[in-house]
Amino acid sequence: MKRTFLLLLAAVITIFSGCKKNSAVPLGDNANSTPAAKKLTIAFLPKSKGNAYFVSCAKGAQRAADELGDKLIIDGPTDPDPARQNEIVENWITLGVDVIAAACENKEGISTALRKAQAKGIKVITYDADALPDARSFFVNQATPQGIGYSLMDEAARLCESNGEFAVITGSLTAENQVEWRKYVEERRAAAYPDMKNVSVQACDDLKDKAQSEATALMGAYPNLKLILSTTSLGVPGAAEAIKQAGKTGVVKNIGLGLPSENKRYVHDGVTQSVILWKTEDLGYLTVYAADALARSTLKPGDRTFRAGSLGEFQIEGDNIMLGKPFTFNKDNIDQFDF
Amino acid sequence: MNMDKHGSKNFLLRHETILFVALVAEWIFFDAVGHNFGTYDNSCDILRHSCEIGLLALAMTPIILTGGIDLSVGSLLGLCAILFGKFWRDAGMPIPVAAVCTIGIGALAGGFNASLIAWLRLPPLIVTLGTFSLFRGLAEAITHGVDTFTDFPNSFLFLGQERWLGIPSQAPIFIFAAIFFWLLVHRTTFGRSFRAIGFSPEGTRFAGLPVARRVAMVYVLAGIVSAIAAIIYTARLGQAKADAGTGYELFAITAVVLGGTSIFGGIGSIHGTVLGVAAIAVLHSGIAHALLPGEMAGMLTGVLLILALAGSILPKMISGLCARKSAPRLAKQIS
Repeated sequence: MKRTFLLLLAAVITIFSGCKKNSAVPLGDNANSTPAAKKLTIAFLPKSKGNAYFVSCAKGAQRAADELGDKLIIDGPTDPDPARQNEIVENWITLGVDVIAAACENKEGISTALRKAQAKGIKVITYDADALPDARSFFVNQATPQGIGYSLMDEAARLCESNGEFAVITGSLTAENQVEWRKYVEERRAAAYPDMKNVSVQACDDLKDKAQSEATALMGAYPNLKLILSTTSLGVPGAAEAIKQAGKTGVVKNIGLGLPSENKRYVHDGVTQSVILWKTEDLGYLTVYAADALARSTLKPGDRTFRAGSLGEFQIEGDNIMLGKPFTFNKDNIDQFDF
Repeated sequence: MNMDKHGSKNFLLRHETILFVALVAEWIFFDAVGHNFGTYDNSCDILRHSCEIGLLALAMTPIILTGGIDLSVGSLLGLCAILFGKFWRDAGMPIPVAAVCTIGIGALAGGFNASLIAWLRLPPLIVTLGTFSLFRGLAEAITHGVDTFTDFPNSFLFLGQERWLGIPSQAPIFIFAAIFFWLLVHRTTFGRSFRAIGFSPEGTRFAGLPVARRVAMVYVLAGIVSAIAAIIYTARLGQAKADAGTGYELFAITAVVLGGTSIFGGIGSIHGTVLGVAAIAVLHSGIAHALLPGEMAGMLTGVLLILALAGSILPKMISGLCARKSAPRLAKQIS
């Protein structure tokens, strides 16, 4: 027992004495060349790794990094532990990346880690879901909550001829962006379509089968339901499957935020009428271009526009780089998109 | 002389020694492959990230030694985190008072597990599976799943994010807990009774030991430690939310089992658990620094667990085979 204890002690001593005392070296291979020509290391953090939405973002990000000649590291949580994103960021800090682009699962939680990165001279940019303003330089805004909420409600009203009952399936009742989007759906309904009634809001925990069972329950509870509106990408195919199995194709309409690839089949079958989203590859692409420019100081606070490679010019409102208006995918155009 | 030789051979083949060698190998490997892995900064980060799971694993060790299990520690961490936030923000308590109250809640929750297991004699797996859902459910109900506690004072965040005397400020708590549990398990009669209970609860009772009280004690301790881990977790993230500590119970159990504690009870050690926690934490950090995909951490933890268990069983099997071979010879000699 005593020997084991001594061994442990020896281990701790060797490990700590073996440490190179804060000799952290930057990852970029040519540190002494001019900053403009230096190859940057960009760390790209999705909310969760397996999600098709972020896979598509990462594809655009990789394309941008290849064009710029930067090194791109992509890592994200694979389990629901809210501390995982912080740990990934902290690992990147010791790794010595040049710039971090993060989609934040927990605004306040991750901000502590991002601030720490900034204190070590690492530039921080957020995309998809923002951190606290003092924890990053810019936020790449895929669409304003107002733009999304209004687009969804307008599309719902168009399909329902501005009257009747509809229900909402949301990713979670708590996530910042979901709450915002639902607020603007309601604002638009109250202002422009008073004859439409939102009968229920259900959370599907970002699970397709939960969305399906919630949709089935909604159709059972509200026989006059005309439309299901999902504010989460997994809600739309889940609800579509429920509508199809209930034999209510076309009777209960189905729209929401979602990826074209996940909904193609249902759109062609006429179960789902339209899917609303921004072009996610463009979001990743723009984020990496902005991250690169930020690290090279060619993008500075106060700039009004930003040019991102083949996508051209984007507007900057305050510290938000705007991706533009949401895009509606339907029967006519959905085959043109493969994400 | 012969005894001594036998002892040192056992020492070399002991599970903890094998795990220690594996840990050093892991460190050397990632230091060679990874970028900025062996730096002092990163060592501190590894220590910081393993504090909460390390604390839970320390408390889990005596429980598993008695042949029990506690699946509720992760959920209790979540419940304690949001109650701590509530005490501070809504009840207006100063941080130290809120912390003491949270630890009290942890003890109560541990006591709830303890009374069901020790006195009603319900199986620990079922009881803590129940409280696993109950505690998490309570946390979600109290916050309605929406409420997040943030904006803690910097003096409190210091505990989770800064350094004190050159080491992460939460590390002394972990080190103190490790010494406390080591003394409890290895240097007191309590510790010996945990093992005895793990081997044979009935036998221990007939030997005149208060089995129910001892079993209750380990679950109450786990509750207290979960509450302490919750406070450290809140300080590290700067936020308390109902989903804090999701899945931590499994990480803790993995670390304990990796550290050589038998899941059936009776066998195990605290230093083994500390090595188990370190092996997993180094693996997680190493994978990030070697720029390998994060999913590999789960996979390699599994491989490490199986290798470590196989590594400690193989020598026993070989010596067992040798013993069987020599047994007939011995029998012949006697006849």
